Amino acid sequence: MIVTLNPKILHFSKLNPQSRPSSRFHRTRTTSLTTNCKLQNPQDGKSSGSITKTISLSDSAAPPVTEESSLKGGGNGGGGGGGGGFLKRLPRKVLSVLSNLPLAITEMSTIAALMALGTVIEQGETPEFYFEKYPEDNPVLGFFTWRWIFALGFDHMYSAPIFLGMLALLAASLMACTYTTQIPLVKVARRWSFMKSDEAIKKQDFADTLPRASIQDLGVILMGDGYEVFMKGPSLYAFKGLAGRFAPIGVHIAMLLIMVGGTLSATGSFRGSVTVPQGLNFVMGDVLAPIGFLSVPTDSFNTEVHVNRFTMDYYDSGEVSQFHSDLSLRDLNGKEVLRKTISVNDPLRYGGVTIYQTDWSFSALQVTKDGEGPFNLAMAPIKINGDKKLYGTFLPVGDTNAPNVKGISMLARDLQSIVVYDLEGKFAGIRRPNSKLPIEIDGMKIVIEDAIGSTGLELKTDPGVPVVYAGFGALMLTTCISYLSHSQIWALQNGTSLVVGGRTNRAKNEFPDDMNRLLDQVPELIKTSVD
Amino acid sequence: MIFSILEHILTHISFSVVSIVLTIYFLTLLVNLDEIIGFFDSSDKGIVITFFGITGLLFTRWIYSGHFPLSNLYESLIFLSWAFSIIHMVSYFNKKNKNHLNAITAPSAIFIQGFATSGLLNNMPQSAILVPALQSQWLMMHVSMMILGYGALLCGSLLSIALLVITFRKVGSTFWKNNRKTKFLLNELFSFDGLYYINERNSVLLQQNSNFSFSRNYYRYQLIEQLDYWSFRIISLGFIFLTVGILSGAVWANETWGSYWNWDPKETWAFITWTIFAIYLHIKTNRNFRGINSAIVASIGFLLIWICYFGVNLLGIGLHSYGSFTSN
Repeated sequence: MIVTLNPKILHFSKLNPQSRPSSRFHRTRTTSLTTNCKLQNPQDGKSSGSITKTISLSDSAAPPVTEESSLKGGGNGGGGGGGGGFLKRLPRKVLSVLSNLPLAITEMSTIAALMALGTVIEQGETPEFYFEKYPEDNPVLGFFTWRWIFALGFDHMYSAPIFLGMLALLAASLMACTYTTQIPLVKVARRWSFMKSDEAIKKQDFADTLPRASIQDLGVILMGDGYEVFMKGPSLYAFKGLAGRFAPIGVHIAMLLIMVGGTLSATGSFRGSVTVPQGLNFVMGDVLAPIGFLSVPTDSFNTEVHVNRFTMDYYDSGEVSQFHSDLSLRDLNGKEVLRKTISVNDPLRYGGVTIYQTDWSFSALQVTKDGEGPFNLAMAPIKINGDKKLYGTFLPVGDTNAPNVKGISMLARDLQSIVVYDLEGKFAGIRRPNSKLPIEIDGMKIVIEDAIGSTGLELKTDPGVPVVYAGFGALMLTTCISYLSHSQIWALQNGTSLVVGGRTNRAKNEFPDDMNRLLDQVPELIKTSVD
Repeated sequence: MIFSILEHILTHISFSVVSIVLTIYFLTLLVNLDEIIGFFDSSDKGIVITFFGITGLLFTRWIYSGHFPLSNLYESLIFLSWAFSIIHMVSYFNKKNKNHLNAITAPSAIFIQGFATSGLLNNMPQSAILVPALQSQWLMMHVSMMILGYGALLCGSLLSIALLVITFRKVGSTFWKNNRKTKFLLNELFSFDGLYYINERNSVLLQQNSNFSFSRNYYRYQLIEQLDYWSFRIISLGFIFLTVGILSGAVWANETWGSYWNWDPKETWAFITWTIFAIYLHIKTNRNFRGINSAIVASIGFLLIWICYFGVNLLGIGLHSYGSFTSN
């Protein structure tokens, strides 16, 4: 992209009054003047964006404009078109507005602020909760009442229109930015642009002149250091780490992929949870409920899941270590298609549906009293505090229809040991169901036969997961790669002396040291004649 | 029994060595010890000793408890101070490019370790068992990446805060002349790119400091440039770790609970931290906004990391309740 300057339109901006007196660094024949100026696009008559470029005027042909301009604003996207109609220019205008970096930064900050607000305001509570917490007569911060919350959808922030709208806007910005700025950047970076003049080379971030050196030696040394070297006549161009230039594009594409996958998940998945006592079964289709409007049930929803066995492992201290469910899947004809024991962190996958072991519960206690029974007593949850649970049941003794019937109470924290209390409520003993040892309570012989647990399963089918996983992998990889530094080196053989210049985009501090180290290796030619 | 004694010894060794290193650094600031005794290098060796001490401590806990030592808040704090000592060692190996990370990482390591062992966290130093949800290979990857990410990002944002402090300070630059660092910087001054950077400096800074002598301005600019550069590099590294950590956490959640993102407070705040540092990196690419603005964003990031790491744990709710103060 070569820019020709029309002196009439050129005017000096007041922003940076000092013009760089770079002439004292250039001991060459030509005079150099560096200016910061504001370009006006002659076609529209109005400026299409302030582009601050440093342009060096010298006797030789104008060097290609540096890439820095394309990182800003990106308003050049539409500069090339002719005088076409307004409709043709509208998408370009929209693109240029969307790919504006400050806009993207504002969007990101707004999303961050909304997310933070979502953690402060309780999500998903009943309306009465908000009436109480953010009342109208005593508003938080002086103005924030429940009307604000319901109007903006803050009680379900992460699916509220304002939040999703911001995410969609960010996605649009990402796409626009990738199209207008990043992809042209790739073209510029790939161009093997040989620099034809000494001044152009000396203007780089790092430049040096070697008085008696050969360009071939430099080429060989650079190749040894991992650069890709191209030579054409007396000039040389080498680069290293090109992946570091491409990787940011990959990052943005990966983020778009994740957003697409997330949208798929939100609109097309099914989920459901169920607590099944050991020995019973259920049909997947009965449990799974659609989440979005694109959810379509599949054939595997007709599968019947049978819980064969539910067991728990314990640590020596008595805490729960792991719980397992032995499941068999049977199809419509009753034939078993899959059998697997699942546990937490080890789910079962069949036909697109995944079954996770997430919870456990105590279903019933089987006891015999004086040889009668066995009675299946349902266990009721008394206190559930995350992983710590307490269940209890009651075996009535005597006249069960009397108003204050007494009985034997049994409490259990897990399936391992049951604590038994007598008719007065006093502690009687602890029994393990496996031992089948009887316990004497008020003349009755109670044997605890079995503790029947129920498994808490969560079922899910999610079409967006492969897309999201691909996005995750791409994001991790490209973020790592974009840490690499893209270095470019130009060199020109000027008689016996060699002019070398280079720049890099990330590792700016180490670059001069690395360059000096390389240049020190270039041998000095002490021949008297030059070929 | 042996293991707990070993653990105690290693904890005490690492803590005391870091304190000694810190004392030496402070003394170096006031009095130029390098010309008296060659102390400067020994503080680097001190950090290496601390690193081995903490590594030994973590290994001991691993063997003793049977699970990777990252299951509650105490262990993650020890891991964080370990991360700081690793980052400090980067400068130890990169001898030719002496940077100023030393001043940040050593005090951070000691504060973290001090807090962890101070006894504010009741019974946590004892190894606890893992609940079923935490018994997974993903634990190692997710939590270690997050802690390493937090460590690097904390270093980077502290460097940015230092940059802001130095930029906006108008007095008290007398001790600069005696500082060994500036003598070293002098070697770099007479190079092409040094002057190039000065010319590119924002005119705002020039006007602010015009009443100072030129040489003092010069050292200050050079130091600010160095701080800016190192802050950028280490925040980029921390950002990579944070990305990998968040994503591996999401994959782990999907394997365990069937949903890769639950808008859990801790997840949300980690994402907010990620967003802030993404904003920081984007500001850095654009030459118009550079300099002060990126440093301000990184300083905000510092606060956010602490909210994410500690603040959410104070609530003790959600999927990440394992790390809370109240859990034992």
